[in-house]
Amino acid sequence: MKLLLIITILLSTNSWAQKPKKNVIIKYKQYETFDLGNLEIKGKIIAPGDLSVKERKRKRFSRPLFERDQFDPEVRKDIQNLR
Amino acid sequence: MKKLIILTLILCHSQVFALVKKAESIYEKSKDSNKNAYIAEELYKSRYYFSSVVFAKEHLIEGKTFSKEFENLLEELVLKTGTMSFYGLKDNILAKYKSPSLNFILGLRRFNYKKYNGAVKALKKVPENHRFAPEALFMMGSAQNLLNQTANANKTYDLCIERAATFQDRAKNKKLKRYFSIIRESCIIHKARILFKNRQYEASLKAYEEIPKTSYRWPYILMEKAWASYHLGNYNRVLGILVTYRSPLMTSYFYPEAEVLSSIAYFKLCLWNDSLQLVDQYYKVYRPHADALKDILVANKGSHTYFLKLLLKPIKEMEGMNPFVRNLMTQVRKKVKFSLDLVNYQKAQNELGFIRKLKDSPLKDKMEQAVNGAISWRTKHLNHYIKKQMFGFINDMHKFSYEMFNVKLEIMSLKRDLVYDNKKLISSRSRGSLENVARTSKEHFFVFNGEFWGDELGEYSFGLKSNCKRVRKDIEKEAI
Repeated sequence: MKLLLIITILLSTNSWAQKPKKNVIIKYKQYETFDLGNLEIKGKIIAPGDLSVKERKRKRFSRPLFERDQFDPEVRKDIQNLR
Repeated sequence: MKKLIILTLILCHSQVFALVKKAESIYEKSKDSNKNAYIAEELYKSRYYFSSVVFAKEHLIEGKTFSKEFENLLEELVLKTGTMSFYGLKDNILAKYKSPSLNFILGLRRFNYKKYNGAVKALKKVPENHRFAPEALFMMGSAQNLLNQTANANKTYDLCIERAATFQDRAKNKKLKRYFSIIRESCIIHKARILFKNRQYEASLKAYEEIPKTSYRWPYILMEKAWASYHLGNYNRVLGILVTYRSPLMTSYFYPEAEVLSSIAYFKLCLWNDSLQLVDQYYKVYRPHADALKDILVANKGSHTYFLKLLLKPIKEMEGMNPFVRNLMTQVRKKVKFSLDLVNYQKAQNELGFIRKLKDSPLKDKMEQAVNGAISWRTKHLNHYIKKQMFGFINDMHKFSYEMFNVKLEIMSLKRDLVYDNKKLISSRSRGSLENVARTSKEHFFVFNGEFWGDELGEYSFGLKSNCKRVRKDIEKEAI
């Protein structure tokens, strides 16, 4: 038991006796490129690969052309041309 | 015989002179409260109608008695000098008396001020057997028509047709017969217009057919018949009716609206190139017309006499003018109202000449002043009438020019759509065929051989096939 205690004390004094830490400089990558074409996506294709837009008939509003639905101004004129 | 005629003339002249003398004596000496009515009566008997009007109006303004004899006098004065003589009286004076003649004028006044209910109320007071009944019924029917009282209007127009026909038969004077015939036909046309307004186009066309080709009103209703055919979808008939305006007999009739309607009819048949051709033609033909009119109007717009003098010029002196302006003058001359007012204007001038020959007296001074005033007012009135017609025409040309532009834009837009859809119309120019002519049993059929014949006018129909079917461009290429 005494022996175990002595070994533990010896080991702990040894860890205190380590050298001081050095200044660590961490450098990150300045550029990184991804080749999307080279990327491989795993999975099953369930839709067409190219983009498609469904053709839709657009409503075309036509211009209102001149139309006569009464002759009221002519009725008035007829009276103005009376006697 | 010669001696007898001279003797009769002398006798008549002396009688007239005696009546003026009597009027002078009443004017200078009488203190009677109805003095003005008596003077009016004497002057009427001496045929100084326009002078008589002045005293009759004074009597009405004074508002004393109103006898049956005075009503007869008013009736005669309206017939001899026109409605305009009493038109200036205020509503309260016109409405004050139980007088059919004054109520007729009141109705006319209210109608022109768009007080249609008031007009109907006044015109109902004109008895059915009165001399002004056909006109009063015509006016009352029109007021009811504009108030959208269709049933009442139809009833009144029917009565107008019946009354005008009776008066036409009774009239001994050719001109008077023609006048009542115009009123009768106008009532028929107004009935046709009611049907048109209620979208009963086939019935409306049938009603228009009652107007004979010899009628003064006939050229004017061609346009209305064309519109009825348009609403029925018979575009070939529309084009046929409107081509009548190109006949040499109708050179004085200008209808910019006819050009627009023809262009739209071609458009509906999808004959776009024909439609565009009409649009271009419209600008080429009507622009110089509008410019010629504008030059005259701008230079003389302030004048109170220029247009009347222009119209009264002999045809020879007008030869140097733009033919369009000359034809427009012819159109104005044909208006019933204008020709009647012109006759009255000339009568007033003659009367002034006779007044100047009378011996000097206070009555003569008053008569001269009054008739001078009436002539001056009538000159302005007639001049204004012609000017108004000209302005109306310029406004119409501009209005329809806008409509033509719309047609052009629509065609361009449709052509663009065809290109985007990779399509084309089935044919670039459709040919005519009898198969495409639609007509009723009452409509005649003539083949057009490049000549206009009087009995054929108004009966034309084109035989163009609709070009509205669209085909894909590439399919046609494949077929080739």
